[in-house]
This record gives sequence, C-alpha cells and structure tokens, in this order.
Amino acid sequence: MRQYILRRCLYMVPTLFVVTVVVFLMLRFLPGDVVHQMLEGYAYAPTVEALRRELGLDKPLLVQYGTWLADIFRGDLGHSLWTKQPLLQEFARRFPVTLELAILTLLVSVVLGVGIGVLSAVRQDSWADYSGRVFAILMLAIPPFWLAVLVVVLPSIYLQWTPVWTYVPFTQDPLENLKIMSIPALVFGLTRAGPIMRIMRSAMLEVMRQDYIRTAWSKGLAEQVIITRHALKNALIPVVSIIGIQMPFLIGGSVIIESIFRLPGVGQFFFEALIRRDYPTVQGINLILATFVVLLNLVVDISYAYLDPRIRYR
Amino acid sequence: MRFPLFCVAFLAVLALSCRPVAAPTPTPTPPPAPPVAAPVATPTPTPVLMAPPPGAPAPTPTPTPTPAVRPRYGGTFRIAAPEPPSLDIHAQISFLTQAHGSFVYNGLLRFPYPHEQQFPADYTVFPDLAERWEFSPDGRTLTLSLRKGVRWHPRPPVHGRAVGAEDVKASLERFAARSGFRVRAEPIEAIEVVDASTLRLRLKGPHAPLLHNLADPSFMYIIPKEMAALRDVNAVETTIGTGPFILDSYTRGVQLVYKKNPAFYIEGSPYLDQVVWEVVPDSATRLALLRAGRVDTIGYRGFIPEEDARHLAKVRPDIPQTKYVRVEMGHIYMRTDKPPFNDVRVRRAISLAINRQAWLNTLHEGEGCVDNGPVPCALRAWKLDSTKEDPARVKYLVGYDPAEARRLLAEAGYPHGLTVTMNYATVVYGALWDARYQLAQQDLERVGIKVNLGPQEYGLYISTTYLGRYEEMAIGPVTPFGEVDDWLYGFYYPGQPGNRSLVNDPHLTPLLVAQRQALDPAERRRIVLEIQRYLLDKAYYIYLPIGSTFSVHLPRVRNFVQHDAYSTGKMIQWTWVE
Repeated sequence: MRQYILRRCLYMVPTLFVVTVVVFLMLRFLPGDVVHQMLEGYAYAPTVEALRRELGLDKPLLVQYGTWLADIFRGDLGHSLWTKQPLLQEFARRFPVTLELAILTLLVSVVLGVGIGVLSAVRQDSWADYSGRVFAILMLAIPPFWLAVLVVVLPSIYLQWTPVWTYVPFTQDPLENLKIMSIPALVFGLTRAGPIMRIMRSAMLEVMRQDYIRTAWSKGLAEQVIITRHALKNALIPVVSIIGIQMPFLIGGSVIIESIFRLPGVGQFFFEALIRRDYPTVQGINLILATFVVLLNLVVDISYAYLDPRIRYR
Repeated sequence: MRFPLFCVAFLAVLALSCRPVAAPTPTPTPPPAPPVAAPVATPTPTPVLMAPPPGAPAPTPTPTPTPAVRPRYGGTFRIAAPEPPSLDIHAQISFLTQAHGSFVYNGLLRFPYPHEQQFPADYTVFPDLAERWEFSPDGRTLTLSLRKGVRWHPRPPVHGRAVGAEDVKASLERFAARSGFRVRAEPIEAIEVVDASTLRLRLKGPHAPLLHNLADPSFMYIIPKEMAALRDVNAVETTIGTGPFILDSYTRGVQLVYKKNPAFYIEGSPYLDQVVWEVVPDSATRLALLRAGRVDTIGYRGFIPEEDARHLAKVRPDIPQTKYVRVEMGHIYMRTDKPPFNDVRVRRAISLAINRQAWLNTLHEGEGCVDNGPVPCALRAWKLDSTKEDPARVKYLVGYDPAEARRLLAEAGYPHGLTVTMNYATVVYGALWDARYQLAQQDLERVGIKVNLGPQEYGLYISTTYLGRYEEMAIGPVTPFGEVDDWLYGFYYPGQPGNRSLVNDPHLTPLLVAQRQALDPAERRRIVLEIQRYLLDKAYYIYLPIGSTFSVHLPRVRNFVQHDAYSTGKMIQWTWVE
C-alpha cells in the first residue's frame, strides 16, 4: 500500500505540470486581454504599452511561463494583476469558505442520496420508491443556480425576507456561520443528491439479490441489521466513486452558489478573476485546485480498500 | 417497517437542521405608497452657486451648503453592490473603484451637491480642495489656490496634517503616470508648487475640458504625497483622503465599512455615522436584499434595470423610484474607412431603417429620448435642438423611412441589398440590449440588409470591436461621461480609441480641435453646435434611442439625489435615514 501511495504521489508531478502548461496556454489564447479590460475604451497605444510593461505582459510567453513556474518553486503563486494582493494569502482566506460549503454540501447530498436511495431500493415499486425516483430525476434536471436564485428571490417577493446574510467566519461565530452556510449547502446538496440516489438505489438492488443477503434473511436477522451491516457497506463502493467525482463539481459549482449567496469563497474569487483575465490568479487557483483534486482521488482510491477488503493495491 | 421510519425520521432531522438558526426578520408593514416612479423627497434647493465658466476666474469660496429640510443625524446606510476590483483610484478606472473613491477622497474641483444641482447632468464646476482658480490670459497656465485647513484622515503616516500643494502635485503626477484615464492629464505640461497652498499647472495649450476633468470624480482625486509615492494604494491603511467618510475596514468579498469623518471640511456633513458597502456580485440577490429591507439601495447608485424597475413599481409601490434620462448612449458603428460604409448613402440607409420611435415604445414604454447623438439628450447645455434644423438633413439622424433607405441602397450599387456581420457583446449589457440586437437585425433586414449577428464574449469585445478592431459593423453602449469633448473629439477625431467608426473627416477634424481650445464658453458652445449641425446627415454612427434610468432605495432613505457621475459617496454625503 505504501508503495502504491508513493507511486501515485510521483504521478502527481507530471499531471500537475501538464495542468500548469494547459492552464497557462489556454488563458493566454482565450480571446480578450486583461490590459484592454483594465482600460476599457481608453486604450491609447502608449497607455496600453505602459500598462503591459508594468504587468510584465510584454515579455515572451515562454519567459512569462518560466517566471511563473520559478516563482511557484519559491512558494510564490503570484499576485493579482488587479488588486496586487498575493494570491496565496487571498486563497488561504477564502478556501475555508469553499471547503466548508463543499463539505456541508457533500454531507447533505450523501445523507439525502444514500438515505433515499436505500429506501427506494428496499421498498422497490412502492410509493416511497416512486417518490424517491421522481426526486432524483428532479434534482438531476434542476440546475443549482436556478434553484439558488429561486430560494433567494421567492421569499423576498412573497415574505419580504431573504436567506442571504453577511458572511461571518466559523472561527468568529460558529452558530451564525452555520446559519449562513446551511441554505446554500442545502440548495447545492439537493441538486447533487440526485446522482448519488440513483447509483445507491441500483447498487443496493443488486446487492439485495446476492446469496449472502438471502442467507441473512433466512437466518432471521432483523431488516435493519441486514441493510445496514450487510447490504449497505457492499453497495457503497460505486457510491464512493461518485462522491469522489463530486468534489471537483462542488468546487466548480461553488462559483455560482457563492456569487448568489454572497459567500467570499474561492469560487467567487475564481469567477471574477476569470472574467477579468487576472492570469496569475486563475493559474494559481487552478493549480491549487488540481492538486487538491488529485490528492482527493488518491484518498478515494485508498478508501476502496477499507470498504472492500478484497481490493489490494500493488 | 422500522427501517423506512428510520429513514424518514433521519431526513426530517436533516431538514430541520438545515433551517436557518434564527427566524427571519419580521417585515414591517410598508408605509403608504408614494406615486409610482416618483422622485425621492428632495429638499428645496438653495440657490445654486454657479461656478464660473471655463476660462474665467472662480468665485469666492463656497459657503457650507445645507439642505432646506432638516436632516437626521446618525444611522447606517447599506448598499449592495459588486466589489471594486481594486481600491487604487489612480491605477484602476473601474466605475466601482471610482465610486469607492468618492466616499474617501476629494478632487481639486467638484460638481454640484444635491441642493446645488439643477438637474442630474448638471456639470457646473464648484470649488473643492481648490477654493479659487484662474487661467492666464493666453490660457496656458492655470493657477489654483487650495482651501486652507483641510486635513487628511487621522491615520499614519499623515496623522491628520493639512493638505498642501506638494500633495496635489504628487497626486496629479501619479495620476498622469498610472491611470488608464491619464489622457485627461495630457494637456498638463508641468506642475509647479508656488507655495504651500498655491499650485500652477502649465498647459501645452488652452484646453477647455480641463476644469471639468479636474472636477469629475472619476479622475484626479488628491491623496497624500506619502501615499502617492506607493506603488499600490489598495489597503485600508493606505486609503487616506480628505473625504466625508473614512474607510474603516475592508473584508474582501464581504464588505467595506466607511465611518463618518468628523473632521470633514464642510461642517455638519455627512449626516450618516456609517456606510456599509455589502459586496453582492449577483444582481438578483441585490434586488432580493432590497425587497427584504436588508439594504437601503443597490448598485453603486441605486440603479436597477428598466424592466425590473417597472415590475417593482407594480408589486412594491412603497419602494421609491427616481426616474430620469441620464447621460448614456447606444450606437451602431461601422467601418467608414472602407466599402460599403465609406459611402454616405449606405450609412444614411442604415439610419433610415431604424424605427427609433418603435424601439422606444417597445423597449421603454414610450419614455425616453429618440435624438440621443452625437451629444446625449441629458447634456442639455451642449445639445443641438434638431427640431429647429433642416428636416431634410435631420431625417438622416432620427428619421424612419424604409422606402428611402432601399432607394439609397440601390443608388449606392446594392439594389438587392447586402449582407453584413454585426458584432456585439454577449450577456454583459442585460436583457434590454439583447432585445436591441434583435430589433436592429429586424429593422435592417426590412430594407434588404441581411445582418449576421456576431456575438462576442465581453473580454474579446472590449479589447477588439469596442476599440475599432472589427470588420464591418457593431452595436453596443458607450461608457458615459459628462464632458462634451468625449462625445465629439473622442468619437470623431482620427486615432482616438473611441472613434469606433474610424471617422477621418477633414472638414470635421479642425472643428473638433477648435472646440477643446475655446476657453470662452459661448464660443465653445457655438463650435459644438456647428459640429452637431455638420454631423446631422453624415450618419457616421447610428444613434439609438434610450429609455429612462431608474434608481431605487428604501422608503426610510431621504435626500438620495442622483447626480450623473460616478460619485456615490458625494450623494450619500447628503443622504440621511429616518
């Protein structure tokens, strides 16, 4: 196992290198230029040249890339072209918000998805099953941003109230923080629960038809014991894969959710940086998130071994 | 049976745990509704102290202006608006940055305060940090005398010391070196400090727009020389001004908090103790916050899209709205340097194809302005009254005659019409602009011009098409400013980035230069009108009708009077809450 982990960590190096190249080049080839965005209609040639020089964008692409890479090895992910703030500092301040949102969202989606999925499988073709499946299809079909806008806008129209607060960090006031985070997490979690529920239901149905489950029934074990101890654990393996894949979606989806619920997380930061063509910020965030996702995939792979002892890593 | 019950119970607990911890704030019964779209309660204006026209000496110092209605002191005013991309008012030209600057900083000159202004686009120049100014007879030197006793915010390293001429020099030099708007300072050849409170600007030549530009809150704010020496003025500690508010805290992505400046040089102003700028990037969320009474206004000046305003007026008549035609412009522009648009007949055909009145009826419920170019309707002091001009020429500016358009096209060699691509920016300008693109396409197709719409992402649009780098034709709005020079010299002088139609008209060009050199306001106005008269039938740009601008705020807000510049802080300086 140790050797496997070490090997996977080594694979991370070329993966992340490719990420740096792709992100750097894609940004540079993206239509639109940060200098012109900064100057809007006032892009007089001397002004453009001066600003380009000031931002270091007058150098050849290879030099710009090399400088960025060298700075990364020195632990400096760069500074925002707009605010001149160090990216790492801003990221460190914002990442806990996004991570908290992602964890709470994951919690909501797993609890709902697994709960409804199991219920649906156990009570196949009953009203509970049909309701669960309708719920899953609905949640798959509804885009999170649409649901989020409804949740924000409708109460403001009919109740003159809105579930949007001024963000307070968890460390400052945990209760207030959870109050602020609960609704975005619920909204986002609901839309992510659909796929988990569907996978959970089909995995559970498959497991429930296995011989060892039939044996457990014939031994006269209680339904709750059979489901939780024997069936659920075995049915969870494909669900864990889905949950692992969810994480990048959660980080990506946080872009919109954070903007709508005004959470000062990485998603909002990334979105604005991308719109403004803030190259160092977009590159840096991408690199950090890519590292995070690669590590998370490793954790998911390792967790298979825990869930299914037959799985061995070499 | 127990397991389903367990699942249901578990989900119920989860649902309960996800409810907000605190109950929602009860909504008070709204007060009786004022008439829909009525302006805010505005105090009776005191006599306006008219600043001298460009080229003449300034009046004596402005007395402390006070509104006629007794204001209420104290309280917090909340705004929900997007985040300024930076706090550095010299290095960043975003209107949000400039709106932030208007809380904290002052310029040498200023535009009228609410009780001084005649209408929202009143750009009379008043003294601010400079209490007097005077042009030399040849118009090549501008001498400014600073107001005595104005102090910086009490923050290190300046610790509330008095503002001096060295600060002004350093600020103007920083602006000239760093700003995207640095072209505004180009007429200044040298800045000389005469004494601690006198400054002399040596100019390359007479430049009539200079006073306006010194007063415009988007440009030359004055900061301490210690801060001017810094590369970035982008933190709370380095945000030091003389303005009515002091930046107290800034949590990126969350809020900016401004506290009242107790030592502000106008005694009794501001009325509010605190202003909180809540960072809310999403427009639907901003409107929801206003409806829920969580913020006093939204956007940097309370603006909401026209369609939202009209709906809000129906469903929430208790929320006051201010409606007026502001300085703004929408236009169709085209490559007049090459066929087919170098032929005036083709350009005239395009202009005659646009049914401006129908646009106004469809998009703006018939309210707004049809003749909005080359000088916008709201710039009353400079606008040519086209109804008094020769109708045979005026029709090419605002007329609608599809038959004549088809005839002109045939005469120009396009009897079967032509096909063009019209670029535009996607999403960013909102639903009304999406409708305009479609309307333009429909109107032009009716006269035989097949339009292929060319959608461009904003970043691409602003760095290519908007700067005149496109192939055939484009449509979109313009960043609005209040100096008439922007609309004429900026749009028509060869080589200007705003000359999107690439106009190079040998008769027009000298007039454009002459108007900016004319320091006598009457003479300048004469030239500006002559330019507009000349442009009546040239159709270099196709000016589109504009609707009204709507501004909203909570009923408790008083004296939130719109001025048509990026000066939120200067407006809120005179606002109070009941």
